[in-house]
Amino acid sequence: MFLAWNEIKNNKLRFILIIGVLTLVSYLVFFLSGLANGLENMNKAAVDKWASQGVILTKESDINLPQSSLKLGDYNGEGTDEYASLAQISSIATSGNNKSNVAIFGMNKNEFIMPNVTEGKEFDKTGEVIANDSLKNEGFELGDELSLSSTEEKLTIVGFTNNAKFSAAPVLYTGLDTVQKIRYGKAADNYHDQINAFIIRTADLSNVEVNENLQVVDTSTFIENLPGYSEQNLTLTMMIYFLFVISALVLAIFLYVLTIQKVSIFGVMKAQGISGKYLARSVIAQTFLLSIAGVIIGFILTIITGLFLPDAVPVDYNYLYLIIYGVVLIFVSILGALFSVQTIVKVDPLKAIGG
Amino acid sequence: MATLEMKQVNKVFGSGHTEIEALKPTDFSADKNKLIAVIGPSGSGKSTFLTIAGGLQTPTNGNVLINGTDITKLKEKQRSAIRLREIGFVLQASNLVPFLNVKQQLQLLDKVKKDNLPSEKLQELYQTLGMEKLLNSFPADLSGGERQRVAIAKALYTNPSIILADEPTASLDSDRAFEVMEMLKELTVNNNKTTIVVTHDTRLIDYCNKVYKITDGRLSLQTERTKS
Repeated sequence: MFLAWNEIKNNKLRFILIIGVLTLVSYLVFFLSGLANGLENMNKAAVDKWASQGVILTKESDINLPQSSLKLGDYNGEGTDEYASLAQISSIATSGNNKSNVAIFGMNKNEFIMPNVTEGKEFDKTGEVIANDSLKNEGFELGDELSLSSTEEKLTIVGFTNNAKFSAAPVLYTGLDTVQKIRYGKAADNYHDQINAFIIRTADLSNVEVNENLQVVDTSTFIENLPGYSEQNLTLTMMIYFLFVISALVLAIFLYVLTIQKVSIFGVMKAQGISGKYLARSVIAQTFLLSIAGVIIGFILTIITGLFLPDAVPVDYNYLYLIIYGVVLIFVSILGALFSVQTIVKVDPLKAIGG
Repeated sequence: MATLEMKQVNKVFGSGHTEIEALKPTDFSADKNKLIAVIGPSGSGKSTFLTIAGGLQTPTNGNVLINGTDITKLKEKQRSAIRLREIGFVLQASNLVPFLNVKQQLQLLDKVKKDNLPSEKLQELYQTLGMEKLLNSFPADLSGGERQRVAIAKALYTNPSIILADEPTASLDSDRAFEVMEMLKELTVNNNKTTIVVTHDTRLIDYCNKVYKITDGRLSLQTERTKS
């Protein structure tokens, strides 16, 4: 650490540049991680809210909720602790000048998927809905009457809940009868038992017994099959992994150039009996100091940026992930330094002193 | 027991028609309190002699003993430990770490070896070498003579039994060169060291107890003074 620290202290500009590059890389990793997490939550927050272990859908739906069509009587709760019925449609809700894509969840209000109400009250009558509070940012308010695309039915916001987005759209929670009315209009009574899925809570999904037309999928599989979810996550995750590789390479190149410049001085030190192990440890320690400085500054910049981002940017930092990514960045930086360590080990003191 | 002993040591580079015997079979012995010069022109084998004596390369044949320990068969790690403990190098080019100030140059040695000169001895060394005002200076701020004085301090700080100096006055004018040799001699005698100076500068031989000449890899004793 002695050599590492003193070299940094006495070559400030050179090392500030290296720390600057590492800061930018870690800033980008943290920001992308926040973006990935935010987009992920936009897709699945409403599903997480169920706190369920599985979903029952029709086999032919290919684990796609809108394509799954079943009846209330298709499942009687065999093998589960709790189950809830869910009808789902998507629409565009308009109130005055405010317009938003929405996912409408129809349910029995006495079942466990009924959301908590943070403002207003629960829905009671047909047409009453609890809306995700993100709609407030778009100008929607309690008591607003909502017109929906492709139907004459009107909805009224009677309450708000939080963390309720599905496939990036805010969710409107309402009764099953409201959803049937939106779907079938005057024929709703004929389809009062038509739903899309059963949401289940159970310790062991293998105990759940369903008829041959249905399938039980665990909640994480259901989420992964949400349209675009896996593709989006994979893209962002790939970008983060590439950044890990880039940071390792950038630091490796910087340190390698620095090491090559110092070959003769390393040789002299080895001639004097200072072991290659000590010198290698010094390079590792230096890398550790540089990467930890870059990661910490990148982390601080990320947090500051988060404070100024508009709500429209779906960034949501998961601090555990940020810490893990920070540790990974430090680790890959040290891996990058191993090129230099190899060079140091091979330095021949004889050549360095001109023998 | 001699501090440094070489028994029938030779060094051959290459093989077949490219074979060169850089150092012919050599017997050499150096005792405490002696300043010894090995003189010879460029390419005569001086550096080969010095690097074999310092354990930086192994001879093709023969044995090198440092305080009775045969270092010829040791691994690099073990030779490195012996270099740190028993040998102080003063090299012709600056052997100082550019990003450490003079004080830190010595502190670096504390990181790898604990039983270096105690503080009062170090102060004496600073005084002898006239280094008190240089302690916070970096190598780039020092003159050639000052750098060599720091290099000597660094070589002595680990309290080695042998000092090996490779052209220690190469970059110095005559006055500075004589000054450095005077210091080396004083430090050798006062601190019970064996100092071997390899040089092509024949002006320095007056300071030495023994002078060897090396020509085409062959070492021969030229002068020996019984009194310092």
